[in-house]
Amino acid sequence: MDGKGWERVRMARLGGSSASRGREAAQLRQVSSQTVRLGRVQPQAPSHRTIYCNDREANLLARFKVNSVSTTKYNILTFLPKGLFEQFRRVANLYFLMISILSTTPISPVSPVTNVVPLSLVLLVSLIKEAFEDWKRFQNDIAINSTPVDVLQGENWETVSWRKLQVGDIIRVKQDEFFPADLLFLASTNPDGVCYIETANLDGETNLKIRKALERTWDYVFPEKASEFKGEIQCEQPNNSLYTFTGNLIVENQTLPLSPNQILLRGCSLRNTVHIVGAVIFTGHETKVMMNSMSVPSKRSTLERKLDKLILTLFGGLFFMCLIGAIGSGVFINRKYYYLGLFEDVEQQFNPSNRFVVSILTMFTLITLYSTIIPISLYVSIEMIKFIQCAQFINKDLRMYHAETNTPALARTSNLNEELGQVEYIFSDKTGTLTRNLMEFFKCSIGGVSYGVGITEIERGQAQREGRALNEIQKSDTVVYEKGFNFDDDRIMRGAWRNERDPEIFKEFFRCLALCHTVLPEGDESPEKIVYQAASPDEAALVTAAKHFGFFFYRRTPTTVQLRESHVEKMGNIQDVSYEILNVLEFNSTRKRQSVVCRYPNGRLVLYCKGADNVIYERLAGTNQDIKRLTREHLEQFGSSGLRTLCLAYRDLTIDTYENWNEKFVQAKSSLRDREKKLDEVAEMIEKDLILIGSTAIEDKLQEGVPDCIDTLSRAGIKIWVLTGDKMETAINIAYACNLINNDMKQLIITSETDAIREAEEKGDPVEISRVIRDSVSHDLKRCLEEAQQDLHIFGQKLALVIDGKCLMYALDPSFRVDLLKLSLNCSSVVCCRVSPLQKAQVTSLVKKGARRITLSIGDGANDVSMIQAAHVGVGISGLEGMQAVMASDFAIAQFRFLKDLLLVHGRWSYIRLCKVITYFFYKNLTFTLTQFWFTFHTGFSGQRFYDDWFQSLYNVIFTALPVIILGLFDKDVSASLAKKYPQLYKEGIRNTYFKWAVVGVWAFFAFYQSLIFYYFTTTASENGHNSSGKIFGLWDVSTMAFTCVVITVNLRLLMACNSITRWHHLSISGSILAWFVFIFIYSGVMTPNDRQENVYFTIYVLMSTFYFYLTLLLVPIVALFGDFLYLGLQRWFFPYNYQIVQEIHRDEVDSISRTEFLEIGNHLTPDEARSYAIAQLPREKSKHTGFAFDSPGYESFFASQAGVYVPQKAWDVARRASVRSSKRTSQR
Amino acid sequence: MNNSAAGTSSGSGDVSAPRRNSNRPKYSRFTQQELPACKPILTPRWVISVFTLIGVIFIPIGIAALRASTNVVEIVKRYDADCIPGNNTKAYKVAYIQDKNIDKTCNITLRVPKDMDPPIYVYYQLDNFYQNHRRYVKSRNDAQLKDRGKANDTSGCDPEDASNGSPIVPCGLIAWSLFNDTYNFSIGNQNLTVNKRGISWKSDRDHKFGNDVFPRNFQNGTLIGGASLDENTPLSQQEDLIVWMRTAALPTFRKSYGKIEQNLRENDTITVTIKNNYNTYSFSGKKKLVLSTSSWLGGKNDFIGITYLTIGGLCFFLAIAFTGVYLVKPRKLGDPSYLSWNRNPSGR
Repeated sequence: MDGKGWERVRMARLGGSSASRGREAAQLRQVSSQTVRLGRVQPQAPSHRTIYCNDREANLLARFKVNSVSTTKYNILTFLPKGLFEQFRRVANLYFLMISILSTTPISPVSPVTNVVPLSLVLLVSLIKEAFEDWKRFQNDIAINSTPVDVLQGENWETVSWRKLQVGDIIRVKQDEFFPADLLFLASTNPDGVCYIETANLDGETNLKIRKALERTWDYVFPEKASEFKGEIQCEQPNNSLYTFTGNLIVENQTLPLSPNQILLRGCSLRNTVHIVGAVIFTGHETKVMMNSMSVPSKRSTLERKLDKLILTLFGGLFFMCLIGAIGSGVFINRKYYYLGLFEDVEQQFNPSNRFVVSILTMFTLITLYSTIIPISLYVSIEMIKFIQCAQFINKDLRMYHAETNTPALARTSNLNEELGQVEYIFSDKTGTLTRNLMEFFKCSIGGVSYGVGITEIERGQAQREGRALNEIQKSDTVVYEKGFNFDDDRIMRGAWRNERDPEIFKEFFRCLALCHTVLPEGDESPEKIVYQAASPDEAALVTAAKHFGFFFYRRTPTTVQLRESHVEKMGNIQDVSYEILNVLEFNSTRKRQSVVCRYPNGRLVLYCKGADNVIYERLAGTNQDIKRLTREHLEQFGSSGLRTLCLAYRDLTIDTYENWNEKFVQAKSSLRDREKKLDEVAEMIEKDLILIGSTAIEDKLQEGVPDCIDTLSRAGIKIWVLTGDKMETAINIAYACNLINNDMKQLIITSETDAIREAEEKGDPVEISRVIRDSVSHDLKRCLEEAQQDLHIFGQKLALVIDGKCLMYALDPSFRVDLLKLSLNCSSVVCCRVSPLQKAQVTSLVKKGARRITLSIGDGANDVSMIQAAHVGVGISGLEGMQAVMASDFAIAQFRFLKDLLLVHGRWSYIRLCKVITYFFYKNLTFTLTQFWFTFHTGFSGQRFYDDWFQSLYNVIFTALPVIILGLFDKDVSASLAKKYPQLYKEGIRNTYFKWAVVGVWAFFAFYQSLIFYYFTTTASENGHNSSGKIFGLWDVSTMAFTCVVITVNLRLLMACNSITRWHHLSISGSILAWFVFIFIYSGVMTPNDRQENVYFTIYVLMSTFYFYLTLLLVPIVALFGDFLYLGLQRWFFPYNYQIVQEIHRDEVDSISRTEFLEIGNHLTPDEARSYAIAQLPREKSKHTGFAFDSPGYESFFASQAGVYVPQKAWDVARRASVRSSKRTSQR
Repeated sequence: MNNSAAGTSSGSGDVSAPRRNSNRPKYSRFTQQELPACKPILTPRWVISVFTLIGVIFIPIGIAALRASTNVVEIVKRYDADCIPGNNTKAYKVAYIQDKNIDKTCNITLRVPKDMDPPIYVYYQLDNFYQNHRRYVKSRNDAQLKDRGKANDTSGCDPEDASNGSPIVPCGLIAWSLFNDTYNFSIGNQNLTVNKRGISWKSDRDHKFGNDVFPRNFQNGTLIGGASLDENTPLSQQEDLIVWMRTAALPTFRKSYGKIEQNLRENDTITVTIKNNYNTYSFSGKKKLVLSTSSWLGGKNDFIGITYLTIGGLCFFLAIAFTGVYLVKPRKLGDPSYLSWNRNPSGR
């Protein structure tokens, strides 16, 4: 939160608080369990708005919203009512409110103080917390609202604050500034009216996007000119769709259509442009960013739901106790006790002639008396504990800090800490989570010959498993290594390709790589220093590869791509060639390919296309079957090595063909309805009769430490499922590489790639296909289940299930669901491949709801959002990728391997701590209340209180409050390193060992036992005179004695529950006991006008003048704790918990202090680490892989679109620009 | 998370430049959860030593406490039945005690079992008397007791707040039901003086009962609950009342009556002349007269001593038993074979 300006804003609005999350998160949170809607376009309001640019008066009529935003939950007036309302929505608080009200009536045995004081303290703490958070939001709002911006006033720029902006204003935004509102982009200082923006605040993408103003408005850069601008904008009503915009600009009776390309959204920032001029369209809360922020429903942890049950049980217990007391009171009351003054006109609650009414009223009396059985401060304490756990422990854990991306872990919600200690199923995305999404050009196949000598990790792993020795080819000394390029083959490097059999096809291959992309070069135009801005790392890798092959792409203008080609005609020859890019047929998830039409300097017209194998193969010309066959073989080889493949193809075009087609293309481009669809159709017309060049293979590197982490987690009893959009072979290989599947496991495969299904698919009858798949899935499931039963129970073999998306679609059908669940729960690991985001979520909720186990989803991209939200705990990978997954997640970590720390250390500790806190709370309140209960039997069931009002009211909030919080923060059974060394310890959390009814029962038993000791020992021991002066104690002396014993015992009992005792424990426990004595010394020493307090006047001094006090003080706590001590001793001796054994094994070891360990990081890097560190230091493109075919094989986004998921389109302005220019040219001709 | 964007937002080219604004958390023992801590492990050795320690401490204390208690000479005499002539029904007893016209003097004799050294405390013990009943406990007004000016403040005293239209001082059921049996002791013909001063706690006398507050309109109602008070003695000197008003914790309780500051020899016979006025018959409560010496611990109460001895003995026994078990079948500390995943090879 210590960033500047917008960073802070973003935290507050997009991340930090639950009140208003980022648009992305919020938008994605709309996802219901049924459908996944990734930013679906909202239906537009029927009407539209008309904006008069540069004319404040005209706009006044429309009463547009102001530009100041408020993200606060409360204001000064509403804070108290609204804040209190929020608090009283909690049952416990409401209960205590009712008890407090009840205690003001005469039937109450206690004065209101007993319940009002703790309730108000609890409320006060909560309200202060709320106020503090809201204040921070308010500060943020102020900071944002008063950011200066230049507005056109007359003919001058005038600086005003953001909040003063109005719709229709013409403003100027300078470089690196944020857009204060949604703007219509009018003019830029850049030529061609373009500007670059960064949308990191919206979607986390840090690569620059290009926006382009309408040509008509390019001139309004300077104030003198801009002041003349009088346009009228007709556009849609404010909505939350970030990627769409429809509207028209009417200038001088000319209607110009507007597209998202001219819109600059609030929250983005301007880059690489001196300044731009824009007109304000939407302001304040009507901006698209703000329309997207909404409050997020929070998840509750399983433990808390269990806690609710415990509280309900307590209510049951309370009712039972009250019932006994009530019946007793009805029986007891009798006129024979004349000293009670039960005369004829006695009030109803003591009227012996109506025993039933007496019982009923006593019932209420007792409810107020025993209200302490419900731990009022429990929720507040838990909240505080969890908050500190998150803010101080998880967020600041150096073990989870990733130095390379400079990313610490982040707990985005604080109510799921303990859930992390009970996770049994992990659903993991593959790309970017298990793998690095660091794409390296690794191999290629050109003209039917495979090149590249590297061996992938997966191949190495495979070889190891099969016991084969791989003869590692020594890399030549001159091998170049660059991020994205890890390729070596003497046959083609350094121009050697010219000596191969068919050099022409190599040229096509390299030019295709160098031309057919949407990469933007940045920085110095030299091969060493250039930085490629790409939408996906695959693309950058391909362009980088082209560079190393001698086709250096160094400049892109709106219409051309310029290459520096070397060694093409003869060795050492370098020439700059400019290729004119006529059209760019963009990538999208349905097309799964991308093409460019370019014109060589010599006039040759070529269409270069690259895309997924199946898509390209469909569109190949019927010639040269050999290359097709060979390339197909290579593709399969590459695939099985875990490489990601793309096919490259080209087509020569005649001018006529092109001109014909281009006309249609231009038409499609300018159509207003279904533009995307029409463009796809037109593209289809030209992307045919392609000639296959070859294929590329890109290695997707595993993340650091993944196999080890997976191994540890599975030893911890966690089952890991990989849900990926990848091909089955790739997925299985990755699973092997990650240790998820090994050769000891039996693989059960359910796939749609069977002959029967293929046959049916070829016929193309959808009904038939679905029937065939259905039958096959049903059959497979049954077969696998049988095998599973047999193997698991008879041979004890571990099982791995592999299922593909298509089959999963049917298997998730309600009729098969049970079978699928049964089968998959028997498997140690499950790999689902080719699954859509929707299916990811479905699988997650299948296990979550069907098996009632705690699930965790981890992923990094937009396609994982639904899964992250569906699981009990969602974890996002932060650092490299886009923000979408992080925004939807509950915890964000930089690396998959940090899960080990997050779960085994933090989760486990949190779970154990929370369990202890809850059971301890339960115990201390039960003990306290039961002493009161026993006393009731000796007061004729009258409901007389045993303790003074203030004792009772401060018991929970002062005398026993702090130690339990300390316990919740610091208790540590085994150290972090041991928790990771013995991952099996985690199973105790999965089995919920520490919060079972048996555990609660044990605590309840000892509470019962102790309360009896407290009551009977203190009263019995006090019976006769207790001083050599022979004076006798009264009720309040005895009760003060008993209370002292309770406070001391309960605090000492906490100490016994601790596994590690820090000085904070000592401080808080002795502090609490001391607090009691200080309190009672003052309280009983002073007379106040307050009526009832004289009961306890001087009691403590009276007590302390007797030996009885000291003897009892020694006796009672020891006898009370005797049972617990014996139990703990026996339990440890004869039925030790695992953690206790581990404690004993390592009892002599000094806790390793990690400071040194952390300081050494960076000094002692293994070669591998050094390399990865070096890579991390290289310039890096940040991008999202989803929605891009090169992110092999694009199935995720493909399925997303199938499932009706709107995948954001990239504004590939390069393409648009190119086509605009070309269309202009065409029209000119 | 805000860093990743922040670090690179200035353009993607300069990421490799050294980062100044690192998000690396600062090391502190607190955040890394490495606070120095002692980690007690409840090993058998610990269990045994703790039990032994408790035994060692408790048994001497128990012996001392028990000795103190047994040294106390206590005479307890129940007289409620004896002081009503004949063996009668409850109804008769109630009628008898409520009849104002009967002289309820009765004589009982006590034999001193052992020499008793002064001061000898005289107590009365009531039974089945719920001084801690909610209606009873709150039926008083502390302000009125303390402050002369608050005589009219009888809130909470209902139904004994006023009689004949004017407030009662002291008001409330507690005061109203003040114990009114009286005892006169004599050995042979020699009267034993009972000192009724100093039987209440000083703090009560000094602060809770005013020395300028005098009883008024007390026991003037139709129903007489118990003793009446001398209207010329301030409340702070009405020690019987002060003792009575310190309500007892349990329905069976003793209250101080006075002190005998005179030696009593073994086998002395004490004649007690009791004015048996107080009605415990309607609720079948017992009345007992208690004469007791005191020790450093107080009156006769074996409970503390016995409990100390029992617990101490139990701890000793457990310590020995555990030592036995420990010697016969020692548990190796930190034996990995105890780990559940080692015990159960299938690993669950």
